Amino acid sequence: MEDLANKIVKKAVDLGCEDAVADVYETDSFQIRFSQNQIDITNSWRERAASLFIVRLKRVVMTDIRDLSKIGDAVGKVVKIAKASQENTEYGGIAKGPFRYSPLRVDKRIISLRDGSDFVYSAVNAALAEGAKETAGSFFRNDQTHYLATSNGVEAKDRRANLYLSIRALTGPESSGHGIECATHFSRFKPEKAGEKAGQIAAMAKDPKRGEAGKFDVIFEPLFLGSMADQMAIRDSAFAVMAGLSPFGKKIGKRVASNAVTIYDDATADGRGRKRFDAEGVPSRKTTIIHNGILKTHLHNTSTAKIFKTKTTANAGLVGPDPLQVVVKPGDWKKDELFEECRDGVYVTNTWYTRYQNFTTGDFSTIPRDGIFRVKKGEIVGTWKDVRLTDNLLHLWHNVKALSKETHEVEWWGEVAVPSFVPYALATKIGFTRSAE
Amino acid sequence: MPGEELTHFAVDYARSKGASYAEARHEYQIGEQMILKNGVLDALNFWEDSGIGVRILAGGGLAFSSTNRLNKSDVRGAVDSAIRKAKGAARRDPISFVKEETVVTNWSVPEKVKIIDVPTDQKIGDLVEVDKALVDLKLKMPARMFVMAHNRIRKVFVNSEGSEIKSYSPRIRLYYYLTVTGEGDAEQTYRNLGWSGGWEALDELKVMDKVIEEAKSLQATLEKGKKSPEGKMDLVVGSQVSGIASHESCGHPTEADRILGRESSQAGKSFITPEMMGKRVGSEVVNVVDDPTLANAIAYYAYDDEGVKARRRYLYKDGLINEFLHNRETAAKLGTRSNGAARATNYDREAIVRMANTFVEPKDWEFEEMLEGVKSGVYMKSFMEWNIDDKRWNGKYVGREAYLIENGEVKYPVRKTVLEVTTPAFWSAVDAVGKDLEFEAGFCGKSDPTQALDAAFGGPTMRLRNIALR
Repeated sequence: MEDLANKIVKKAVDLGCEDAVADVYETDSFQIRFSQNQIDITNSWRERAASLFIVRLKRVVMTDIRDLSKIGDAVGKVVKIAKASQENTEYGGIAKGPFRYSPLRVDKRIISLRDGSDFVYSAVNAALAEGAKETAGSFFRNDQTHYLATSNGVEAKDRRANLYLSIRALTGPESSGHGIECATHFSRFKPEKAGEKAGQIAAMAKDPKRGEAGKFDVIFEPLFLGSMADQMAIRDSAFAVMAGLSPFGKKIGKRVASNAVTIYDDATADGRGRKRFDAEGVPSRKTTIIHNGILKTHLHNTSTAKIFKTKTTANAGLVGPDPLQVVVKPGDWKKDELFEECRDGVYVTNTWYTRYQNFTTGDFSTIPRDGIFRVKKGEIVGTWKDVRLTDNLLHLWHNVKALSKETHEVEWWGEVAVPSFVPYALATKIGFTRSAE
Repeated sequence: MPGEELTHFAVDYARSKGASYAEARHEYQIGEQMILKNGVLDALNFWEDSGIGVRILAGGGLAFSSTNRLNKSDVRGAVDSAIRKAKGAARRDPISFVKEETVVTNWSVPEKVKIIDVPTDQKIGDLVEVDKALVDLKLKMPARMFVMAHNRIRKVFVNSEGSEIKSYSPRIRLYYYLTVTGEGDAEQTYRNLGWSGGWEALDELKVMDKVIEEAKSLQATLEKGKKSPEGKMDLVVGSQVSGIASHESCGHPTEADRILGRESSQAGKSFITPEMMGKRVGSEVVNVVDDPTLANAIAYYAYDDEGVKARRRYLYKDGLINEFLHNRETAAKLGTRSNGAARATNYDREAIVRMANTFVEPKDWEFEEMLEGVKSGVYMKSFMEWNIDDKRWNGKYVGREAYLIENGEVKYPVRKTVLEVTTPAFWSAVDAVGKDLEFEAGFCGKSDPTQALDAAFGGPTMRLRNIALR
C-alpha cells in the first residue's frame, strides 16, 4: 500500500503536476446502534481507497480514487479536470519532507475485536442499575490505516484504532443523561462508566420544571464545554477566518477569553484524535491556540501560513486547516469546589444545535439537553427544562472563572465533532432565554 | 453498470446463509464541488464513487454491511459479517419489516441541460459570474464564499422479495455565506439552493437575482435597520421561515423512528407519542406536507431506499397530527404501512426514516391582504440563527431580513427579531396562509454516523397573530 501511494504521486508528477499528495487508506470498522435497551443494528464497513490532492499550474483539484486497480486512469482524469479549472492565486504549496514521526502506537486487542455487544450491554446495564428505564446509543470499533506520500518527499504511515461508546439514559420522557467513553487502549475502555454517568444524571433530572430567562453562573460538564471548545478551535482555522466564519479575525495577540483559559490543538496526545501527521504529512504537534486568554495563532496549513506570513501549525485538512484534537488545559479546582463557588447558577450537562446569528461577532445560541440543574449556594436545588443558552462565544470564554483539575475525553456526534480533552468549568453571567408559550 | 450483478449475488448469498430478508443497494455517484472564496477558486473537488451496501434480517436481528471492493469475495465477506452480527444481536423482540409490494421498475430525473454536457470550465465560469456581479455592487464585503456542487447518482436496489429498482438522479446545489460591513458593524447571511435535474438549475433557481437581492438586503439592514420591537404582536413570516418551521417542528417530530426512540442518543426524540395521532398542534388553516415526488425539488425520488413507492404525506392536516414518516421497520412496529420515507446518503449507510421536501401547503391569501390586517407587527422574511431542542418543542428563529409593519404597511428594516416559541404556540398562531410557495435547500442531519442528506424546506408567506417577539 505504501507503494500505491508513491505510484499515484509519481503518476501525477509525470503528468505535469507541481504538487501531489496521495493518502491511501484502508478501513475495517464496525458500529452497534442500540435503543430501548437492545441492539437495533450492526453496521460494518470495509473500504480501500485513496484521497488525491494535485496542483497543476496552481489549479488545485482533489479527488477520491475508489478503484485502486485503475490508478493511471483516475490520475489522468483528475489532471485533465485541473486543466479546465482556475488558478488559485492564494495557493502556497505543500510542506517539504521528509519528516521524522513519533512511533506508531496501536493496541492489537482493539484491532482483533470482532464483537462489541458485551460492551453495549455492560453500558446499558450500568445505566439501568442507576434507575434508567430506557437507553440508546452507539458503540464503535474503528480501525483505519493511512499511507501518505507527497511530491515533496513525504512517506508516512499511520494506523488509528480506538473504541468509543455513547449512551443516553432516560428515567422519564423529560429526564435524561448522557455518558461517553473513549479509549485507544483496550484495557482502559470502561463502557459501564459511561452508562453509570448517563444513568446518574438521568436519575437526578427527575421532575424538571420550566427554566428561567436571565443571566446565571454556569457549571459546565465536560461534554458541554467540549462543544464550546470545539467552536473555538473550528472557528480558529485560517480558512474560517478568511471566509468570514469566525470571530477571530484580526484578534491575534488580543484577549479572547479569561486568564484561566488555555486551549491547545494537540494530535500528539493519546486520544481518539491522535494522528502522526496532518494531510500534508507534517508531523503532529502541540499548538497553543489560546494562552491565558490571549489568542496566539490561527490553525494553518502551508498555504494559509504563507498568506498570514507564518508557519504551518500541522493542521492541513482536505480543503483548509482543521483542528485535530482539542485540549483545554485543566485548572486547579476540584469539581466540588466549582459547585461551592456557584451561588446562583445552573449546571448544564450536554448541549446541541449550536448556531450563529453572526460568525464574525460570535453571537450564538445552543440548546442544553439532558440534565439541566438549578444550583443555589453550591447545592443542586431543582431540575430545569426548556431553556436555551443565548450568548456570545467570546463573552462565554471571557467569563470562565475556574476550571477543574479533572479532565475527560469527549466526542459526540456533530456537537463535539473534534475529539477533545476537557475539564469542568465555572463561568459567570451567562445568558439564558426560553420560549414563549 | 459495474457492481449491478453483485446486488443479486449478495441477496441470493444472504438468503442461502440464513437471512430471512436481504436487500442490496449498489450506488455509483459522480460529481464535482467548487469552493469559491473571496473570488478565488480554492479547490475543485471531483469524485467518482461506487460500492454496495447489504442489509439483512437474521435471527431476529438487523445488520448492515458495505464495501467498495466490488468482487464476489468481498461481497461474500460483507454478507457473512452481517449475518453473524444480526444473529448476535440477542434481541428480546425480533425486528420485522412490514410487507410491501414487489416492484420492478426504472426511474430517472430528466435534465434539460445535461450536466455531463457542461464543461467544467463553464460551470466554474457560471459561478465566477455570480461572484463578479456581487463585487460590482461595490459593497463593503470582506468575506464571501460560494460552494457549488453537482452529483449524478445511479442506484440499483434489489431485495429478496423480488424487487429490482434502477434509478438515475442528478442534483445541483449552491450554498453561500456573505458578510457585509459598515461602521464597525456587520450583517451576515447563509442561503442554500438545490435542484434535481440538469444545469438549467442556475436559471430556474434564479441564482444571480437571489444572490444580488440578498446582498442588497444585507446592506439595507446594516444602513437602515432599527431595533426590532418587543412584546406580543402580529408576525408575517416569509417562505424561508415557514419552510424551516415545517422541517424542524413538524417534519422531525413526525419521524416514526424518533417517536420510537431509535434516534434518542443522537438526533433526539419527539414531543409526539404514537397515542397523539389526531391531536391538535396548530390552527385549522395549517397543513404541513412532506412530498418526495415534487418535480425538480432537491430531495425528489420515485421509490425510496427500501423499494417503496414515494407519495405525498400530510404530516399536520387542518392543524392535527395526521401521519408519521415511516420505513418498513417503524411501520411494522406501529402496525401500519411504510409511506416510502427510507433514505440513505450513499451505499455505505443504512436507510433510515428521512424527510424529503417538507412545506406548508399554500392557501389563497395575497401578501398585501395579510398585511392589511396588521396594525403593528413584524414581517420576518428570512432568518439566520435557528435551532430547536431534541424533542422539537422549543424553536428559535432570528430574523436576517425583517421589517416593521405599521397599519398594514411595510416600513423599515428591523434587526435581529427573535421568535423563540414552542411548536404548538407557533402553529396555533397561524391565521392566514399565502398562495406563494418557495423552497430552499438544506442538509438534514440525522443518524450515526451522521447522514447529512439533501432536503428542501418551503412554504408560503404566513401570518401569525399575537405572538411574543424580542
